[in-house]
Order: sequence, then C-alpha cells, then structure tokens
Amino acid sequence: MNAFNLHRAYSVARKEVMHILRDPFTLALALGLPVMLVTFFGYAIDFEVRDIKVAVADRDNGPAARRLKEIFAASGYFRVLEPAGNPVEMLDSRRADAALFIEPGFSRDALGGRPARVQFVLDGSDNSKGAVMMGYLPGIQRAAATRLYGVEPPPAPLSIETRFLFNPELSSRWFMVPGLGAIIIGLLAILLTAMTVAREWENGSMELLLSTPVRPLEIIIGKLAPYGLLVLIGVFFVYLSARLVFGVPFLGSHLLFLLACLLFITAALSQGLFISVVTRQQQVAMQVGIISGLLPSMLLSGFIFPVESMPAFFQYFTMILPPRWFMEAARGIFLKGSGLAELAVPLLALAGLSLLLLALALKKFKTDLEP
Amino acid sequence: MTAGPALEVKGLSIKFGEFTAVDEVSFTVERGEIFGFLGANGAGKTTTIRMLCGLLIPSSGSALVGGLGFADGGKGIKKIVGYMSQKFTLYNDLTVGENLDFAAGLRKLEPRYAAKRRRELFGLIGFDRPLNTLVASLPGGVKQELALAAAMLHDPEIVFLDEPTSGVAPASRARFWALIRKVTALGKTVIVTTHYMDEAEQCGRIALMRTGRLIALGSPDELKASAFPGPMTELDFNGSAPAAFLENLEKAPGLLELSPHGMRWHAAFKDKAAMEAALAALPAAASCTLIKPSLEDVFIRLVEGVER
Repeated sequence: MNAFNLHRAYSVARKEVMHILRDPFTLALALGLPVMLVTFFGYAIDFEVRDIKVAVADRDNGPAARRLKEIFAASGYFRVLEPAGNPVEMLDSRRADAALFIEPGFSRDALGGRPARVQFVLDGSDNSKGAVMMGYLPGIQRAAATRLYGVEPPPAPLSIETRFLFNPELSSRWFMVPGLGAIIIGLLAILLTAMTVAREWENGSMELLLSTPVRPLEIIIGKLAPYGLLVLIGVFFVYLSARLVFGVPFLGSHLLFLLACLLFITAALSQGLFISVVTRQQQVAMQVGIISGLLPSMLLSGFIFPVESMPAFFQYFTMILPPRWFMEAARGIFLKGSGLAELAVPLLALAGLSLLLLALALKKFKTDLEP
Repeated sequence: MTAGPALEVKGLSIKFGEFTAVDEVSFTVERGEIFGFLGANGAGKTTTIRMLCGLLIPSSGSALVGGLGFADGGKGIKKIVGYMSQKFTLYNDLTVGENLDFAAGLRKLEPRYAAKRRRELFGLIGFDRPLNTLVASLPGGVKQELALAAAMLHDPEIVFLDEPTSGVAPASRARFWALIRKVTALGKTVIVTTHYMDEAEQCGRIALMRTGRLIALGSPDELKASAFPGPMTELDFNGSAPAAFLENLEKAPGLLELSPHGMRWHAAFKDKAAMEAALAALPAAASCTLIKPSLEDVFIRLVEGVER
C-alpha cells in the first residue's frame, strides 16, 4: 500500500493496451506514420544540388570548347544549355543557375598548350546553391586540364587534402535520415501521451481512478509502458526504412542503439505526460505537444543547423532538449560506430532528462479534484 | 468493520480560493441508511460527496467515514468506500469484463475473489449478457447498473452515488432505485445525490442543501411537517386565476406559501383558522382540496423561498 504497487500499475497498463487495440487509428498512427514520414521526407531532404543549369555563351566554337562543355555535362551535376541570347538574362529570369563564357581563342590557346581562360558567372542570390556549385568547380577544372592538356596539372606548392571520415560519400541522406527519424519519433511519443491523461480528465474517468487507492506514479508508469512499447515498434520500422530504403550504414552496436532509443522515448513520453497532466485538456495538450515537440527539435537539435554554430545561449539551451542528445547518439551509432564511452554524455543527459520530466509530471499530478 | 455510524460529519467546510463551496455542514448517517442530498446545481452536493470519498481534503471541520478520518490524506477512506461519479461510468471502448477487471486491479482484488464478487453483483443487478460485450453497446440504464457493480466490487461498507440516474430513462430510474434498496438491505450505507423529487421521496433521510449550507435535514415526512405545520390546499380555479383574488391571498395573514403548479395553485397556511379566513372570498367557480405537501413544495419553501 505504502509505495509504488506494480499490480496497480500493471492494471492501468493493461487497460491502456485495450484502449490502443480498440483504436485502429492510434495503432496505425504509432506504427505506420513514422516510417511513412521518414521515407517520404527522407527523399525530399537532400542537400546535394544536381541538375544545375549552365547557360553557355560559346564564342569560340572550337573543339576544346566542345570538350569543356562535355565535361560539364558528364559531371552529373550540370546541364548545359546553349541559348541564343545573352546568358546573363537567363540568370535574371532564373532559367539558368550559372553562365559560362568561352571567348574566341580558347581552343587555340588550350590546344596550343598555352594557359586558357573561361568565365563562370553564378547566381549569388541563392547562396547555399552557389556554395555547392563552387565546390564542384575544382573537380571540373581538374578533369578539363587532364583532358585538354593530356597531363594532370602539377600539384600546387601547398595543398590541403580533404577526406571525409564516417560518411565518405558525404551523402546528406545518411546524415539526415537518422535525424529525421529522431524528430518524428519524438513528436509521436509526445503526442501519444499528451492525449492520455488529458482524456481521462476530460471524460471524468480520472475522478473515478482517484477514488480508488491508485497512486499517481502507478498511473504514470501504467500509461508510459504500453506507449513506450508501441513507439519502440515504430522505431524498428524507421530503422528498417533507413537501412533498406536509404542504405544508411549502421556501424555501431544495436544494443547501444536500443538503449539510446529507450532513453529518448522515455524522455519524450514523459514530456507528453507532463503536458497532459498540466493542461488536462486534449486540445490544448495537442497544441502544446506539437509546438514543444516540433520546433525545438527541428531547429535546435542539430538536425539542420549544427549546435556548435549557434550563439552561446542557444548552445546551452539545447542541452535541455532530448532530441539534441538523441540526434548526437543516433548519428554517432549509425555513421561512426560510436561506443558507450563516446556516447556517455548524451546517454546520461537523456537519462537525466527522462527522470526530470517524469518527476515534473508526477509533481504536477493533482490527486484532488479542486477546480 | 467498526461499529458506530457510517458517517459522522462536524462543521465540514471547503474553500476554493475565496469561494466557500461547502460551509459548516454537520450530520450523522447510520449504517444501512439511504441518505439523500437534495439541492440545485452548485448547492455543494457533489463537493460534499467528493470530500467524504477522500477525493477532496476539507479546509476545516471533521468527518469520520466508516470511523476513518483524513489524517492520511483520504487514502484509508478510499479503501472502504465505493464511488460512482456523475460524469463518467465505464470506459465505452472496453468490454464489461475489462472494465470490471480494471476496477478489481486498481483495488488489488484477488482474481478469484473478484470473479466471485462479479457473479454476486451480476446476480444483484440482474446482468446476464456476455462478459465480452462492449460497454458502448449497452443501454444507459444497464451501464449505470454496471457502474454501480464496479463501484461495489471491493465490497465497500459505504457507497456514494452522485446523481446516478441523470440522463437515464424513467423506467430504468425506477429499476435503479429498487437496486439501491437491495444494496441497503445487504447492510450497506448508500449516500446519493439527486435533484429528482420523486427519488428524494425514496430516501430514508434527506439533507437539503443550498449555496453550500445544509438548510434542512430529516425524513421526507419530517421535512414536510416542519416546513408545513398547518394545512395545505390545492386551488383549482377551473380556468385562469382571478388576479385580484390571488393578490389578496398573497397578503393574507397566516399564509406560508403560495406557488403555481400547472393550472392549479398550492397554498399553505399557519393553521386551519388562517386558511378558512383567507379562503372565505374564494370565487364560486373555484374548488379547493386539502392535500399533503410534496417534497417539491418543501423544496420550494425551504430553498427557493429563502432566495426571494
């Protein structure tokens, strides 16, 4: 009677399972929606820029100019357009992203072994795209030099060789998909529990629950457990989608990933419970759940913008966001094969936040019916 | 189970901020009674019941429920009482069996004991549908009876019913009251709130509440006798009542109460002499019959009369 009673918590959990099983909508939402969204948005979110339209003004018309155009087209990133008019007008009207000017004498110089120049004009109004284009140019230059002059260009006196560890292809999908999964799973978990306690207050059943010797902790654990299991199954489907559909490598330990997922899910479910306990109304709980579950995790978790480049205040602020820590853990386990030692901080932070949110929900759980 | 009264309430009050919802209420309920709370919405009936179930902690005063107080925050009380709330009965999306299992689980009943109680209670309420019937598919009256069974699964000494028949068909209401009498016949104490006068008539004693105060307490007959010591008559004018006569009647000395009841009027007087004097000028077309006051008359006199 005194402390937490497992039997009563189990009764609450069993009842909650029945609610879930009788409600195909919740079931479909929890199991199907995450994997659907991850697959859908996983295709959409891609930071690589392809099919850049280059308007070419070829005033040389020689064999070297033709070859240069072929090299651009063959790179897979550029599409060569040869408009009749001024290429810069194409930039203005956004029909092209860049313009390439090949002046007369280019072929003569290039084939004669003399230095040859072309001008590449790009649209700076979309700076992220511009930066990506700039990144592709050295490769094109290298390929062109090799083909036109028949020799590799001599190495510069000082050169910086870059090589990407962990995500050698720098595929943004490998990076984005685990993060996307974290955001969607987090939001789902918050929403599922945000509704449960508020529903009991709204339909009056909480009054009946409280008229029995059941304790708040038993109600909270009883509600947490079934939804935790449900969300975990949802995570499994997301994992399958990441591996099979997007081919994201998984270098770390599955056990460690399960632990990270459990901690993160507990934190998100507890956040939902806390919202539910405080608002006591399903609609308000839903709105608070979406706002608190979506915006911070999209913008401040490191999903899109790296935490390290945020202003100092936000770097500290992100520490109270479970998705920030899970993002770090999930990407580490997937792409770097990080172990327990490397992930100790995020895992401890997740555990701490889970406990904190649970304690808050428990503290705010009113056992009397004072209006 | 301890001896002594089921409820012993002294100066019980509760405040929500500045608002006093229940104000210095005192009464005693013996075991085996049907004790009713009668009053308008907001009179404090539900709040009083919630306190006595351990759902609200009183601001002041004392209450012993089955001999137990609030020292432990109402936890002891919750174990020995059964409560049926006004708003919610059973989970519609669960079956009858699942609902009762849940109630049993919350009270940590042994499965075998719970099954035995379930059979007994099904017998009591005359429920013979399968356990896997979805509650949503049951008629309102049956749902109400099942809710009572769920509230009594742990065999409580005292059962609190907050407007158990609101929104239920009249035939089902009568059935439910027969059930309440069966429950008290088993030695249980039933505390019930209602605003149906015919239901209040069936209580052993009634506590009349108004704006958080207990304004009268007694059996229906006692309440009628104390509210109307003299005779009461029903006036039938066989048509619309002459305004002048009514105006005079209202001012007549010894008139306690004059209230319209449909086309007729009820007039109560201090004594027989006052009645005869006041009705001397009764129009010829009108008839008057001596009647017994109903609880509704009592209610009008004691509750609404004060407000005038």
